Amino acid sequence: MKKDIKNFKIQRLLKQHELYLFVVIVMYSLFITYLNPNFMSLENLFDLGKSSAVMGIMAIGVFVVLLSGGIDISFTAVAISGQYIAANFLIASGIDNIMLAFLISCSVGVVLGAINGFLISKFNIPTLIATLGTSSVFHGALLTIVGTKAINSAQLPDCFKAFGSFDVFTLTKPNGVYYGLSIFVIVFIIIAILTWLILKYTMLGRGIYAIGGDINSAIRSAFNIPKIQFFIYCYVGFLAGIAGVIHISLIRYGNPTYIVGDELSVIAAVVLGGTRITGGTGTIIGTIMGVAMITILNNSLILVGLSSYWHDLFVGLIIIISVSITSYQNKMSVGNIIFRR
Amino acid sequence: MPENSEKFLEVKNVSKSYVGVQALDKVSLSIHKGEIDCLVGENGSGKSTLIKIIAGVVQPDEGEIIINGKSFKKLHAIDSIREGIQVIYQDLSLFPNMTIAENISLNQMVERKRKIISWHEINDIAEKEISRINKELNLEEKVENISIANKQLVAICRALTQDAKLIIMDEPTTAIAKKEIDFLFSVITDLKKRGISTLFVSHKLSEVLKISEKVTVIRDGKLVGVYNTKDLNHDKLSFYMSGRKITNSAFNYQKEKLEPKKPLLEVKDLSKKGNFQDISFKVYSGEIIGITGILGSGRTELALALFGLNKPDSGNIYIDGKLANIKYPKDAIDLGLSYLPEDRLNQGLFIKKSIGNNIVVTVLKSLLSRFNLINNNNKYKSAKEWTEELNVLAPSLDTSAQSLSGGNQQRIVIAKWLATNPKIFILDGPTVGIDVASKSNIHHIIRNLANRGMGVIIISDEIQEILNNCNRLIVIKEGRMVKEMDTNEVSEDKLLEILSRKIV
Amino acid sequence: MLGKYSKHSNIFTLFIIMISVFVIISIFLPNKFLTVRNFQSMFSQIPEFGLLAIAMMLAMLTGGIDLSVVATANLSGIVAALVLTKYNIFQTGGYEEIYTILLAITAALIVSLICGFLNGVLVAYVGVPAILATLGTMGLFTGISIIVTKGYGIVGFPGKFLYIGSGTVFLIPIPMIIFIICVLAIVIIINRTTFGFSVFMLGSNPIAARFSGIRNENILIKAYMVSGLFAGIASIIMISRVNSIRPGYGEVYLLQAILVCVLGGVDPSGGEGNLYGLIMGIFTLQILQSGFNILSFSPFFKKVIWGLILILVMVINFYREKESPKLLKKV
Repeated sequence: MKKDIKNFKIQRLLKQHELYLFVVIVMYSLFITYLNPNFMSLENLFDLGKSSAVMGIMAIGVFVVLLSGGIDISFTAVAISGQYIAANFLIASGIDNIMLAFLISCSVGVVLGAINGFLISKFNIPTLIATLGTSSVFHGALLTIVGTKAINSAQLPDCFKAFGSFDVFTLTKPNGVYYGLSIFVIVFIIIAILTWLILKYTMLGRGIYAIGGDINSAIRSAFNIPKIQFFIYCYVGFLAGIAGVIHISLIRYGNPTYIVGDELSVIAAVVLGGTRITGGTGTIIGTIMGVAMITILNNSLILVGLSSYWHDLFVGLIIIISVSITSYQNKMSVGNIIFRR
Repeated sequence: MPENSEKFLEVKNVSKSYVGVQALDKVSLSIHKGEIDCLVGENGSGKSTLIKIIAGVVQPDEGEIIINGKSFKKLHAIDSIREGIQVIYQDLSLFPNMTIAENISLNQMVERKRKIISWHEINDIAEKEISRINKELNLEEKVENISIANKQLVAICRALTQDAKLIIMDEPTTAIAKKEIDFLFSVITDLKKRGISTLFVSHKLSEVLKISEKVTVIRDGKLVGVYNTKDLNHDKLSFYMSGRKITNSAFNYQKEKLEPKKPLLEVKDLSKKGNFQDISFKVYSGEIIGITGILGSGRTELALALFGLNKPDSGNIYIDGKLANIKYPKDAIDLGLSYLPEDRLNQGLFIKKSIGNNIVVTVLKSLLSRFNLINNNNKYKSAKEWTEELNVLAPSLDTSAQSLSGGNQQRIVIAKWLATNPKIFILDGPTVGIDVASKSNIHHIIRNLANRGMGVIIISDEIQEILNNCNRLIVIKEGRMVKEMDTNEVSEDKLLEILSRKIV
Repeated sequence: MLGKYSKHSNIFTLFIIMISVFVIISIFLPNKFLTVRNFQSMFSQIPEFGLLAIAMMLAMLTGGIDLSVVATANLSGIVAALVLTKYNIFQTGGYEEIYTILLAITAALIVSLICGFLNGVLVAYVGVPAILATLGTMGLFTGISIIVTKGYGIVGFPGKFLYIGSGTVFLIPIPMIIFIICVLAIVIIINRTTFGFSVFMLGSNPIAARFSGIRNENILIKAYMVSGLFAGIASIIMISRVNSIRPGYGEVYLLQAILVCVLGGVDPSGGEGNLYGLIMGIFTLQILQSGFNILSFSPFFKKVIWGLILILVMVINFYREKESPKLLKKV
């Protein structure tokens, strides 16, 4: 019984991963504010929220995959495919409707995600290798079929631009300039809540935790593993489709080589948020904070005068440091050497 | 036997064979409602296969299974669960990352094909089941943080949520302490009052005799018989299980002939917090020392400490009278120590690798020839020598270890250690999961090693194994040595009593 | 290896695949494929991803993966390029040039060893899963490359250095000669040294390896260092062949390296795989590559094909495993 109490304390401490992260974010923000007082302004925070939505939505997808003990690196290729196909369809058909864009992009996302899900659940291919392969196929096929022609601002249907500049409410600065909270942030929040609900209140969601916790127990508990895996990868595809449309609405420019290559930042955000690649452990709040941290870091690199060249280095370091901390804690808590590799 | 109550489960003439191995041969078993039954047999006798067949996880080659009067030719896992059969496997099949409440309730939710989770419901179900077995547990605690005994109770509660009419427990007492076993037995007795039957699978006779009403014995995949527990005693049951009279011929330690002056191995005041404390003993050339104690008593932790896998906090180890500094297994091997680990499949063997590679892995240095490169002829010779010495039955040295029987696999692990030419050989559970014939052969090998002057330590919870093969034994309880004595000074009953006695 | 005989059928299948690919492409593109020039160009391309594939194989044999191979090669190449361009003030081409070249090569190899060491420490001592450790270091190494070069390429190396990538000896491209030497070295390391033997055993069952007296940490660090070193050697060939280097060069090699490994029969879960299979995988891939080049497939279309082949190989492996006789499960 004593041992249980001791462990309980340790667990409570570990649970504070989010708390630590929160403290780091606040302290870092204060530091940046000290260098550049504009940082903490509501306007800049709204801006950060808007620009982090794409990464945030994809991060939630990656979070769900990692929770199940897998990994997906094809979601960027899925996002750009959805975006590019949707935008080009709208241009070609002349229909100027953002909902249609979402419908097309998400459908593409779900179909491509389903391919991942099929390969992983049916053929037991290691998730990294499967999604590495499909990533290459998806992106290569997109570039082969639709070419490398960019969609410039003039060609871009108005609905994207309108969606991109739509604020749910606006405020006025003393100098008369308007600023507001972008709809992107609302979409991101809705997705976060939806995902949280799925994970917490549906059998499917508990199944994802179950697979990540112990796949053999999940099999014995009669969970339908292939179905759950299939859902996971479709869901990631679906979220990537949304992220794709938001991305083009944000930058008002479409280029089929964009987004691909950002996998690293997204995965970094998720593992920074405390999600373990071994599955079963992690929270949505942690993931959101991870995304916030990476966004602030990117934003502040420029503020403190470091060029964006430093981006990859920081992302790499974040992955290494945050994973090292969780892995080392894990290694120590396992304690007995018998179970170590 | 409650003749008046009706039969809940009847297994009739079930057979099952795997590639070349007849795991079960026309075995029958029956359980009445509200009955506590035991299925006993030595390791490798086919118990696990029979359980899996009842659970519907494995399909029998022939035979019939009748549950509640319904006959099944092919019983699937889902049928078995629907009819109220719940198996609690040794690994307990829990989700470490989830709370106690969820672990208890989730299976029921899955079975009822729920789409939406109500956390109220989950907590209510869990609370109800936990209180029904008179236990208090923090429902919000994650399962990875609770003790094995509590995990077991969680698994039992989970089984009960699914309207279990028969709970099958596979070796539930191996990893828990006496007090916890008593509580478990009280839970099982309570279940009986609720009309729930229990099939208790074990090879620990004292527990079997204590808890059960009826015992089904199988040996080498065949039914030996079904007996009323009240007609049984320890000797009878052990005879039925092993198929032979256990002759209490203790291992004859040839002290006079060997005349050792100083010990091969001396352990002095070895302690590690939370593992073991103040352990001191000596092993002389030609001796076989038994170390016994229940799982979790610290016996394996102690062996790991000797082998450089579990750094002790204090105390010394002397080999040949010299202070040994063992940081890694390599150091231990260089000093002439060998350790045959408890978990053969995970710790002892490279299951996918060839027999040859499995044997030479410990002696790579000796295979080197010109330019420090491995000489494949040396490798082949070395491996062949040991497979012949130990009579490993295998088509060739290139056969992978996974295609061998448990006995042959264990002989390979022994071979890999004998290849290092050890002075001291520690064998942790040397015959776990091994059939009777191979078992006695392995005991024979061990005795021969001692007769040639090796110092041997056997760690086991099988009392017979210790008493028959060791000249001296040490009882470890909660990390402390509680007794050290010559085996010919002690009877089986006495040893059992020492083992189950509480520490004051 | 004592166990190699059971793998014979696998290697034979690969051999048939390689020959079939060769024959098919020869039949359809006889004039362009079966030429000395084409073979020379094939032989100068094989070493780059061949060495990266060997680097990947080492990590995979230990049960891990090295996603940072290409980033390691890039960083090493950039360091070499910096040495070459910075010290290349003597346009005369005398001994100073040789000195610069040797310095550049040494620097590149040291950098690659450090990269491998970092991966090894993360995996062995910190206990980070190899996927995440090498994903992180991939970002780190690429990041350093970008910062050092400010994102621009470095071009123009001394003539003698370019000889490494484009010279020939008796019609055999020098990169191929380097490759053959490296393959021979790795064959010996893997099949005839205690280190190589330990890598296989550790990859097969790390716990049993520890119980058998193998120092897992040492072996893992060494394995990732050798993996890094091969990436470094690849980088030398790479930059001298194209006479330039920029951060992010050769990203497609990552997929190809993994593809060649699984095609060559390396088990991604560790402990299984041999060099004969890997080399046949390398040749098969190069023959295909060469065919695609002759057909002037776009790089995007090639991306599709490589991805498809990778998935196809994994699917085939799934069925092969399924068909192999079910062994006695833990009863």
